[in-house]
Amino acid sequence: MLKVGIIGTGNMGKAHARGWAHTPAQLVGFCSQDVRGGDVAAQYGVPLLEMDALLDICDAIDVCAPTHLHSQMVLRAAAEGKHIVCEKPLARTHAQGVEVVEACRKAGVWLLVAHVVRFFPEYWRAKQIVEAGEIGNVAVVRLTRASFQPRPAADNWFLDPEKSGGMILDLMIHDFDYARWIAGEVTSVFARSVRGTDPAAPEDYCLALLQHASGAISNIEGGWAYPPPLFRTALEIAGDAGLIEHPAGGSTPIGVHLKHKGGDVGADVGVPGSPLTEDPYTTEIKHFYDVLTGKLPTPRVTAEDALAALRIALAAAQSAQTGRAVQIAEVV
Amino acid sequence: MRIGLMSFAHLHAESYLNALLHMPDVHIMGIADDNMRRGGHFATAFGVPLYDDYAELLHDKPDAVIVCSENAHHLPLVQMAAAAGAAVLCEKPLATTVEDAYAIQDACAKMSVPLMTAFPMRFSPPAVEVKKLVDSGALGRIYGCNATNQGSLPEFHQAENLTFLGRSWFTDKALAGGGALTDHIVHLADLLRWYLSDEVSEVYAVSNRVIGVGKVEVETAGLVMLQFSRGTFASIDCSWSKPAYYPTWGGLTLELVAEGGLTTLDAFRQNITVYSDRVGRPEYAAWGSDANAGMLREFIAAVREQRTPAVSGEDGVRAVEIVAAAYASVASGQPVKLG
Repeated sequence: MLKVGIIGTGNMGKAHARGWAHTPAQLVGFCSQDVRGGDVAAQYGVPLLEMDALLDICDAIDVCAPTHLHSQMVLRAAAEGKHIVCEKPLARTHAQGVEVVEACRKAGVWLLVAHVVRFFPEYWRAKQIVEAGEIGNVAVVRLTRASFQPRPAADNWFLDPEKSGGMILDLMIHDFDYARWIAGEVTSVFARSVRGTDPAAPEDYCLALLQHASGAISNIEGGWAYPPPLFRTALEIAGDAGLIEHPAGGSTPIGVHLKHKGGDVGADVGVPGSPLTEDPYTTEIKHFYDVLTGKLPTPRVTAEDALAALRIALAAAQSAQTGRAVQIAEVV
Repeated sequence: MRIGLMSFAHLHAESYLNALLHMPDVHIMGIADDNMRRGGHFATAFGVPLYDDYAELLHDKPDAVIVCSENAHHLPLVQMAAAAGAAVLCEKPLATTVEDAYAIQDACAKMSVPLMTAFPMRFSPPAVEVKKLVDSGALGRIYGCNATNQGSLPEFHQAENLTFLGRSWFTDKALAGGGALTDHIVHLADLLRWYLSDEVSEVYAVSNRVIGVGKVEVETAGLVMLQFSRGTFASIDCSWSKPAYYPTWGGLTLELVAEGGLTTLDAFRQNITVYSDRVGRPEYAAWGSDANAGMLREFIAAVREQRTPAVSGEDGVRAVEIVAAAYASVASGQPVKLG
């Protein structure tokens, strides 16, 4: 039986734990710096352990820690010969990303990066339709993912660009990955962001234009500037033989408009969702389980894919700061 | 108010004439068109006179003319009209080059005739509502704008049995000036200049010809980033990316993300969806107010009062400069400064 340990008890640690509970894997423990970590562990009836102790008793480690800690944790786990599931972004810097991919390759362990958007059914459906040639060659990709400013998490790491890489690395990387999945390798990025020119701005918003080697072009919108609890995602893929549209709110199956008496109704972090029998985080974890147990030969998202997405995000951040278009090859 | 129409090369000419025919204080003198068969077709269809040529129309001293020729021919027609003392409403884009755009502005200024660029979006009630919201200050600092003005490949503009209308020029670089960048940047560039009361300081653009490859010689898709001088940035998708069987011609949308929150505009969303066995696919039937009529009323008022129209020739020139900068950016791969 596959034994899994989770590092992190925040939103993603909890989402992944729910996913693992739907697999035959055994959750053996959590590692967390959060004061509420013990409660999460208790909920699953497993211990809260130091990372070394957790590594000792698991076959695979699921890294849901703040971004700046990913690479050191992945390197430790790879050195112990453990398989790794890692939240996106793969790492905080490109050099770290290259290092972890290389270390996992050498150690012969899986490095499965949680680009969950590839497991959201509407995005997966669109991917399959493009792959089937239904809309011909891809010309223009438009992706939106925008929400409100996350509330301060444990040690406020989300809002510290040194730790999280900011909105571009944390949020927009989903769509950088998806655009590349749909339209192929990205060659250049041009981006404008509020924080790119004003690092002290209270919130962030960014528009990025990508050129792909195929000739396709992409418009990626990301934001942490909406009023809570608004979270909008949208996708549009235009080809030379058809068009896929999924406007923001375009396939919301239920509308609930309840009166509420003041108070706080928002979440800490915006997470998109639609009523489904299986939430996409669970779909993702079940897929990872199948890869780790040899049922699937290759994952839907490879470590190299995650590294490429990181590189696009870093290029966007660089472009937003310098005001110049950045060639992907320049990001080292 | 005596108005003449110069060329029906652009399909907006029909919409303008149709709106003018509903205005009681307007007398339509007739149509002149260098394509006589096209001119005759529309003169008959609308029941208005057909002139032998532009000079004959201008000889009859119109108060104003509407120029809907191919983009590259705007300049000579506007020069003729201005010299005859006629006010000019010129289809967008004002010209295919910055030099021509300035020459158009100069020709009208020299003769002191009002010049208006046909940017009807400024008269679209939903778009005007957003302008009021921006001006109210409720949005605070506007961070950015994600905008689209998409259409279908212009070859779909022309039914096969109507090839004599000569409307395949939209994809002819010499006559149109370019493809999707020329066709669909200007409406949003103008709308945003108006909303923000600000000028574009830098333009970045990418384009391709994936759609319509082998059929047309111009770019058919483009994404443009405008940087405004006071900090707002805006991306514009000007692609001809809607299939021929899309329920409508295309559309114009924008999202303003600001300190005060999110504002969205879908300017042509006022429609009902119709499923008819006769057509065999869903179609949008628009019920929104006619922005063209609002634009034409402003033009007529400006001519009557001999003043600068709310959308001026200068606004047309600014939009042409932005398009030219977009092409320069595509060529260099880097943003291009303006102003």
